[in-house]
Amino acid sequence: MRLRWFWVLLPVVLGTILALILFLTDFDNSLLYAQADLGSILFGLGVIASILTAVVIIVLEQIEKIQINATIEFAENRRRFLRRLDHELKNPLTAILAGLANLSILEDPDERAVTLESVSTQVDRMRKLVAELRKLSELETRPLDLSPVKMTELLEETFALIEDEPVARERILTLSIPRAPWPLPTISGDYDLLVLAVHNLLTNAVKFTEPGDTIEMRAFEDGSQVVIEVADTGPGIPESEIPYVWQELYRGAGARGVQGSGLGLALVRAIVTRHEGEITLRSRPNEGTVFTMRLPVRM
Amino acid sequence: MSPQTCILLVDDEAAIIENLAPFLVRSGFQVKTALNGEEALAAIQSESPELVVSDVLMPKMDGRELLRTLRRADNWIPVILLTQVGEAFERAMALEEGADDYINKPFEPHELVARIRAVLRRAKPGKPPLSAAWQLTCGDLSFDRRARRAYLCSKEIILTPKALILLEYLMTHPDELVTRERLLDVVWGWDYPVGSRAVDTRVAELRRVLGDDASKPRYIETVPGQGYRFAADVEGK
Repeated sequence: MRLRWFWVLLPVVLGTILALILFLTDFDNSLLYAQADLGSILFGLGVIASILTAVVIIVLEQIEKIQINATIEFAENRRRFLRRLDHELKNPLTAILAGLANLSILEDPDERAVTLESVSTQVDRMRKLVAELRKLSELETRPLDLSPVKMTELLEETFALIEDEPVARERILTLSIPRAPWPLPTISGDYDLLVLAVHNLLTNAVKFTEPGDTIEMRAFEDGSQVVIEVADTGPGIPESEIPYVWQELYRGAGARGVQGSGLGLALVRAIVTRHEGEITLRSRPNEGTVFTMRLPVRM
Repeated sequence: MSPQTCILLVDDEAAIIENLAPFLVRSGFQVKTALNGEEALAAIQSESPELVVSDVLMPKMDGRELLRTLRRADNWIPVILLTQVGEAFERAMALEEGADDYINKPFEPHELVARIRAVLRRAKPGKPPLSAAWQLTCGDLSFDRRARRAYLCSKEIILTPKALILLEYLMTHPDELVTRERLLDVVWGWDYPVGSRAVDTRVAELRRVLGDDASKPRYIETVPGQGYRFAADVEGK
């Protein structure tokens, strides 16, 4: 798209070059006089006006097309989201219905207690989903609580939280943060939200790996950015699924049967975007995945 | 708690009334119900309940308008609002209009009962609650809620926005054990993976700025394994 505007400039550039050649060299830069009858001039002006009008129409049409596409995409996103939400709610609801049906016939107090417990687990699952959805929608609108954030401190604290979890102890966890020649910079950000983003990436890494796998978190400074990588030796994400993992409630084939709301990465992306940073991922099936988060330092 | 304590439960959602009312009865309260603000006003006249638990979004007259109507008539019956979403804006509004407390839907019924008990304990009949005061004072410490500024010995203290909300909540709930979960809900509005630690960090910030010693606190007391308590007396204006 951008490249096309190059053609608009081309005649001007060519004309300028030729003019410069005439000005700066000994070529004959003689005065020219052109004459035309009124009829021809009017015809010429008419042609130019028509061309300009055509250009304006084409530009407007293009803008309209972009807007229509955006509307279609928006509608498509919405449909997809509703379909997934419907799917996410169906399973716990089915379990709750079955649990309630059981409760209406069960008499043994022990059996009733087991059923109640399972119903309340499903209710909890739905509650978490609702809470995550709310979190996501609030994240997109609420003002950031900006303060100077010491990156080393933030990463160490978040890493320690994950290390404390029993499942994490079965994985090989390493954290590498540079200390020389200078430590990571302090950035301007929302401390709690950044912790949430890093925590989500680490939780994902733990969730999708097996005992014995390696999870590495490393960080470094790159120009005016801080780069944080979370890498694991897990099952990886198939290439065909990679563009979708950021979508709300998306679940890849490998993620079925793994606990979670399906909103974790969408949350991470929303947080990074709010900080004007970017997040990308690379993955190889059966080798692992690495998420790369880039945050601007701008203090 | 006397078994006669009468509570008016206001919600347009029948399912909530049907399940919550029996739970409150079992928790030792007498319960009246209303489906919207207008019915609630009538019930407050006829039943004279001691506390109102009201939803916010309702047809005819919503919870906020109900609250405004009551307070305009200088009626300081304790009101707990059930806010629909954890939006900071809505919480701020609830405070401005003179709610005694608020709780985010969905909530644990036990948590609501704990809120009701705490509000009843705090409430002084016929008087505005601390939560409706514009100015909170506790010795050298004062909080101007309109300007959202806090002062220590008449000098303004600089706090992060979250620490400010935390201080405000603690000062409006003096001598009450506030759990970390509750503070999280109040300040962050949603559950947070590193929640309790985040609360501790902010409390540490408050103590540092207030020059409060955690082992001999003047203001904020730690209740081990449970939460925090604002230990000093607070005056409201």
